[in-house]
Amino acid sequence: MNENEKKNLLIKSGSIVDPRNDREFTSDILIKGGIISEVKENIKVKGDNIIEIDAEGCKVSPGFVDMHVHLRDPGFEDRETIETGTLAAVKGGITTIACMANTMPVVDTQSLVKYILKKANNSACRVLPIAAMTRGLEGKNITEMGLLAEAGAVGFSDDGMCVRDSNIMYEIMRYSTQFNLPLILHEEDDFISGDGLVHEGYYSNMLGLDGISSLSDDLMIERDITLARKSGARIHITHLSTKDSVEMIKKAKEEGVKVTCDVTPHHLFFNDSYLTSFNTNFKVKPPIRSEEDRQALIAGIKDGVIDAIVSDHAPHLDTEKNTTFKLASFGTIGLETLFSAAFTKLCVEEKIKLQKLISLMTTAPSKIIGIDEGKIKVGEVADLTIIDTEREEEIKKENIISKSRNSVFLGQKLRGKIICTISKGKLAYIINNIKKKG
Amino acid sequence: MLRKKSIVDVDSLKLEDIELVLANADSFLEISGRDVKKVPILRGKTIANLFFEPSTRTKTSFEIAAKRLSADIINFSSSTSSVVKGESIIDTLKTILSMKVDMIVMRHSDSGAVKIVDSFVEVPVVNAGDGKNQHPTQALLDLYTIKKVFGKFKGLKVAIVGDFINSRVAGSNISLFKKMGIKVTIVSPTILLPEDFSKMDVRHCIDDVIEESDIIYVLRMQFERQNRKFYPSVMEYNQFLSLDMKRLRRMKPGSIVMHPGPVNRGIEITDEVMEIGGKLKEKIVIEQQVTYGVAIRMALIYLILG
Repeated sequence: MNENEKKNLLIKSGSIVDPRNDREFTSDILIKGGIISEVKENIKVKGDNIIEIDAEGCKVSPGFVDMHVHLRDPGFEDRETIETGTLAAVKGGITTIACMANTMPVVDTQSLVKYILKKANNSACRVLPIAAMTRGLEGKNITEMGLLAEAGAVGFSDDGMCVRDSNIMYEIMRYSTQFNLPLILHEEDDFISGDGLVHEGYYSNMLGLDGISSLSDDLMIERDITLARKSGARIHITHLSTKDSVEMIKKAKEEGVKVTCDVTPHHLFFNDSYLTSFNTNFKVKPPIRSEEDRQALIAGIKDGVIDAIVSDHAPHLDTEKNTTFKLASFGTIGLETLFSAAFTKLCVEEKIKLQKLISLMTTAPSKIIGIDEGKIKVGEVADLTIIDTEREEEIKKENIISKSRNSVFLGQKLRGKIICTISKGKLAYIINNIKKKG
Repeated sequence: MLRKKSIVDVDSLKLEDIELVLANADSFLEISGRDVKKVPILRGKTIANLFFEPSTRTKTSFEIAAKRLSADIINFSSSTSSVVKGESIIDTLKTILSMKVDMIVMRHSDSGAVKIVDSFVEVPVVNAGDGKNQHPTQALLDLYTIKKVFGKFKGLKVAIVGDFINSRVAGSNISLFKKMGIKVTIVSPTILLPEDFSKMDVRHCIDDVIEESDIIYVLRMQFERQNRKFYPSVMEYNQFLSLDMKRLRRMKPGSIVMHPGPVNRGIEITDEVMEIGGKLKEKIVIEQQVTYGVAIRMALIYLILG
């Protein structure tokens, strides 16, 4: 790899998807010293200091941006590290990650933000820290949001927890308006969710698993929209799961509340009928809900209410998952399947345009966290993903490269395979049998 | 022989399996009535009775059933609370299986635990109750009791009264009863029902069903076990849901009262009803259920191992 890193890259005959200008065209791309130096047809380069990648019949997209990832570093390095997580990311075509603050210690000080940025210097893709909103994620004392922003945080989130106290949430919102960064909100009324394990509905009842009512999400979303309206804060509601939440956010947007939102591929892909297997990889938060909810989320993508798609990559050890539903941890990994799962459901099944999906995974999340990603432009560092949209693959445990293998997609056949990722200007991932020279 | 060797839930039982078990139960019931209550048909077979949650009745019933068939049964009880992870069930199972057992009977406090175990062991597994999910042998013994009393299933009306949401008995009994053509009504207050019960036939007061039902199936009301569901008081329960003398007298001729046991006297059934003598006593078949339970479990073990 080190030898290759020094080489220039030439991507031949790919179909370039440019979400910024809403266009698609066939072209070659030449990358010299990590910088895109030419985008035109029939680029000829002499010499052997070049790797030529045949992208004919494939799509070439800006690298994906996943703004909701748990890298588990520091503190839970047995589950994932910045190094292993970013390797999994580039396998999934992702070149920028925003990572959540619920590590140990929690990312609630400048030094933790700097630790992540420093450790990510040599990682396979760009890593941007999201800092905690409250110290220790305890929902009590507001973090040094100003200092954290200066250190490089791209947003604030107590993800995994929801600030219970409405007054504290209101103060967080008021303070956040000083910094042009989003509050990324995990919405859960834990009085309602309690010891619940799965969506409260027909299947929870049939299987005797304690339910989590949709009210758990909906009540907090309603509260936070009200607080955002009043405070003027910019809020981003992550991992939507319920039908009513899509409606509420739609209405709030129409009224001019500064609210955006995202959804995960697993909430788009599955409904609660999959629980009959008692496969604990389906134990996620918020829970995978009913078919009616799933349909509403897809409709929310189609009509533009939902702004972005994120993995909520949540690595867990086998021992945390190979147990009963009650004892298992919440979460599924998702970096490696982010695109293919979303593509299979949204583009293959629901006939949503690829352009649209790519903007949900590049330009839209970039805008939310205030970064300038999602472009293919001469003179810029190359962050690119090459996708074979015809290729289908079954997700198998032995092929997962993330340190944890708790994927809800195991056994599923997914369309749209990432065949090559160029991240930070370097060839970060390429499948074995791709045609390449050099 | 049963085509599906493990009994994890009632939904996977085929109609002919159910009929086979019920038909076999009669001859095993006869054995329990003998002076020497033992037949040698399963001599040399070993059954592990694994109870990860305390139980007296079900555990004893399986034990007696196995012993009357001359199988060796070993009891493993562990009241490992769900909160303490400790030894994983898988590891416990591996230990037990290394000692070469032919069949596992298992109860666990977590829903789905028996299905997980069944998916990775070779030997047949019988679910003796998992969390709030299923209790298939209870459902079968209840069905057998109904068969013994009425001689038929089709057209019968059963009202299942009480704490629906926290009950594993309700779930498996309803599936099995419906499968056999029995009409099921649930009598339960809204807070002991799922959030959305619009697709179920639900009443909130026992008076609404007491005269028309052939079977009043009373569930245990465990105030201490309520999980996030807040039923106000025993007095309130008595007013709307308990079976008392007044209600017992209103039941139609030939109708019966069932209960999975043990009864919380004074809560779901009054003391007076439990102690009743004379003609009305015939309505209460709770003790017969226990007797038939042994026969059903003998039949099941025999069909699985025989």
